[in-house]
Amino acid sequence: MKFDSILDVIGDTPLVRIDPGVHGLRNVDLYAKMEMLNPFGSVKDRPAWNMARAGLAEAVERGDAIVELSSGNTAKALAVVAAMHGLPFKSVTNRMKVPELKDLLLLLGAQIEELPGQTECLDPTDSEDPLTRMYRMLSEEGNGHLHTDQYFNPRNPEAHRVGTAPEIIKDLDGEGPDIFIACVGTAGSSTGVATVLRENNPDVRVVGLVSTKSDFIPGIRNIDEVNEVGLFDPNNYDVLEPVSAQQAIDGMLVLNRRCGILGGPTAGAAYFGAVRHLASIDATLETRKSAVFIVCDRVESYMSYVRRLRPELLKQPARPNSLDTVTEDELCSVESMDVTAARDWISVERPVVVDLRGSFAYSTLHIEGSINIVDELFDELVRGGLPFGAGQPALLVCPVGEKSARYAALLTRMGHRDVRSLRGGVVAWRDAGAPLVRD
Amino acid sequence: MTPQVSGLLQDVLAHPGVLSGMVEALGSPLNVVVPQKIEENAATYRSVYGTHRLTGQVYFAHKANRSTALIRELAAGEIGVDVASLGELQHVLAAGFAGDRIMATGPKDADFLWLAAKVGAIVNADSEQELTELAEITARHRMPAVRAMIRLSAFDSPGVKVLSRPSRFGVHQRELPSVFDILDRHRDRIELLGVSYHLDTNGLDEKALALDGCLLAMHDAVTRGFAPRAIDIGGGFGANYLADRDEWESYTTELSKSVLGTRPSMTWQSHGYGLRAEAGTLRGALGIYPSYRPVAGARYLDELLSRTAPSLGRPFATLLMESMYDLYIEPGRALVDQCGLTLARVAEVRSTAAGETMVRLEANSRDISAEDHAVFMDPVFVCDDPIDADPVGVYLSGNLCLEDDLITRRRVTLPRMPVRGELLAFVNTAGYFMDFAADHALMQPIARKVAVYPAGDSWRWCLDDQYWPVKGNRE
Repeated sequence: MKFDSILDVIGDTPLVRIDPGVHGLRNVDLYAKMEMLNPFGSVKDRPAWNMARAGLAEAVERGDAIVELSSGNTAKALAVVAAMHGLPFKSVTNRMKVPELKDLLLLLGAQIEELPGQTECLDPTDSEDPLTRMYRMLSEEGNGHLHTDQYFNPRNPEAHRVGTAPEIIKDLDGEGPDIFIACVGTAGSSTGVATVLRENNPDVRVVGLVSTKSDFIPGIRNIDEVNEVGLFDPNNYDVLEPVSAQQAIDGMLVLNRRCGILGGPTAGAAYFGAVRHLASIDATLETRKSAVFIVCDRVESYMSYVRRLRPELLKQPARPNSLDTVTEDELCSVESMDVTAARDWISVERPVVVDLRGSFAYSTLHIEGSINIVDELFDELVRGGLPFGAGQPALLVCPVGEKSARYAALLTRMGHRDVRSLRGGVVAWRDAGAPLVRD
Repeated sequence: MTPQVSGLLQDVLAHPGVLSGMVEALGSPLNVVVPQKIEENAATYRSVYGTHRLTGQVYFAHKANRSTALIRELAAGEIGVDVASLGELQHVLAAGFAGDRIMATGPKDADFLWLAAKVGAIVNADSEQELTELAEITARHRMPAVRAMIRLSAFDSPGVKVLSRPSRFGVHQRELPSVFDILDRHRDRIELLGVSYHLDTNGLDEKALALDGCLLAMHDAVTRGFAPRAIDIGGGFGANYLADRDEWESYTTELSKSVLGTRPSMTWQSHGYGLRAEAGTLRGALGIYPSYRPVAGARYLDELLSRTAPSLGRPFATLLMESMYDLYIEPGRALVDQCGLTLARVAEVRSTAAGETMVRLEANSRDISAEDHAVFMDPVFVCDDPIDADPVGVYLSGNLCLEDDLITRRRVTLPRMPVRGELLAFVNTAGYFMDFAADHALMQPIARKVAVYPAGDSWRWCLDDQYWPVKGNRE
């Protein structure tokens, strides 16, 4: 396959059958539409390109910025399209919730503005929503914008009507699926695909998935938020069902580990919602049915999301010489010195004084002659062994003397012969009136 | 929407007879405050300090409440108080506060500055002009140097631009050099204690950015030869008003549906609280207080301190501790959580032409300004007998001759139809709302205040200004 532009690679994604041994359904063939294999990594590549393409020639001529209210995959795809055509891309968002994506957007040259949070002393006359605010900003700044307007732009579902849906029908030998399961975000893919599937087979059942109200699943709206989307029409769905963030991760793990499909939490939500819905009807089926869900994007961008919701999944192996392994007994036998004793010891023995605080605090004020090894770095150093000679007297200093005592215990266990901790830390030092310098 | 009720407020509501006696004697509406609860609340903040090994001080933002009993109770305890006017400053001094536990904030005229400086309060300066005036006053009146903080209000963000609502108060981070110039000229008059911010938002991202900016400002101050010691991050930690998450979530969903017209209206004249329907799509924003808030109060503070600073890359609590900076906070609403309620007597129950039930109270929307603050919370029906009836949905209107005097624009649920003379209690409102709006409109009297306190196995009450911390049981 040869292409002239990466933009030509958008679409024509494969349909992959999920192993019945994994989903456990007896009467349903379940297929995943692999939108994560689009060149910029998501189902949004299609609408982003379809929406941008319309006004691109004029925009390039005038040097307009592409503008969208998005904090997700649409922004990512538009940022690429804009960058490829030498245009700025500007995203205004409610709150960017996926940090990896934020960094990627900055890398692609996007300008991102996060809107303020809600006021604490409520002003009931202020009923400005992010959309209204952005529309006003656009008109205040005058022309010079290509606003793709994904929540209202008919070219969003159109991309799926002309692309995604016919591809699914073709791959199912012209029949199309009996059941289509889609997550509802901008409602673009669910609306666009469902319309065509219905034209092809009026009996197709369309299941819309929304997120549980208190949960956040990237790219999916909750039952209230879908009502804010211009493209959303409840009549497009036979049923709307909620999925929680934990269920989305459950579904994602099955896709990732058992199917080899490295989809993200949105794909996981679609899979979980699909299997749950199908399981409830599986036993009642008398003929074989086929069902399709969309794998929206890839898992790699969601590591911080997983870390927050399921930290145990990213569990690191135990580290050698870790601070966590210090026992109470070891801690009790540490030599902690008060400020007076420490000052005497410093003047007589000239130990190396190691300040474990962050460089910001150290650079503001520190004990004269001390060196700064930030605790995070010190952690790394002691994993490999003692960071200074076993016979070199050392005084460890931290803010209040707790962390330094733990490190002193650890170094002692590792064979250091004279490491001590400053009791009460640099706070006690300051409170005792001992000198601190900024040099 | 079941309100959150805890502590002494539960015991208070368990004695309907006493409550109606109080309203009989003192009139409706009646505000009831629980002074001893405020110190308990302060302790939850101090425990967050303890977890993060931080030092510093909690200052109660007086503007949240005018109760004398609360202020006297605080004077007897350990925390400080933040006053935003000359009147508030006089009030706290009369309640027994010494100057060193007072922080003066807000816009300040010369009188306010003079008294604050005279009693040795910390002056949280709003502008360069204010600092200059403070220096002149201390010089003219030969006072010792005054401890001052610089209030910052706008910060530049690294990476993604974080927008913030513009503030009327404080100076931009970029204006700091000229502020330092002023302080330099008046080193013998003003001692720079530190920097502060107060943002009108419940967004953690914005507050994290501001705290980051404060740490950088402290560094600049040290570089300029000052010895600042404290960062004041203000308040705005929020309160949780409701007992049940599901009630809140399903209510707000149904409200959106009613605005879209897919279910019957739940509000007076289909009021949408900021939402509107345009061609089947919901537009606008739900302009209501997040009445159910799992992350509020001390937990909000904990979340903020546990965050990583955007430009400095370590957790805020660690940065503050390592830099040996004191942390000052100024909660208002969050500190008076569960510290009071408002009682109102039913004046009339009638049906409107449209078949709605309208319950008029002997109180108005300025006495119970939950609607102004858009806090969604049903009142508690104060009643002696067990209730064996079906719940009813009613609108609550006030005693002013004004169409907009609705205590709730949304239908609230009562366990049965009330009758004239019965009492409703608005939990938590006397803690925060009562003093913001109450006035003598249409010559209606302003609510009296009483303080309740545990005494023996029960509780007793007195007029708010008769309360001193020697009353009641203490452990």
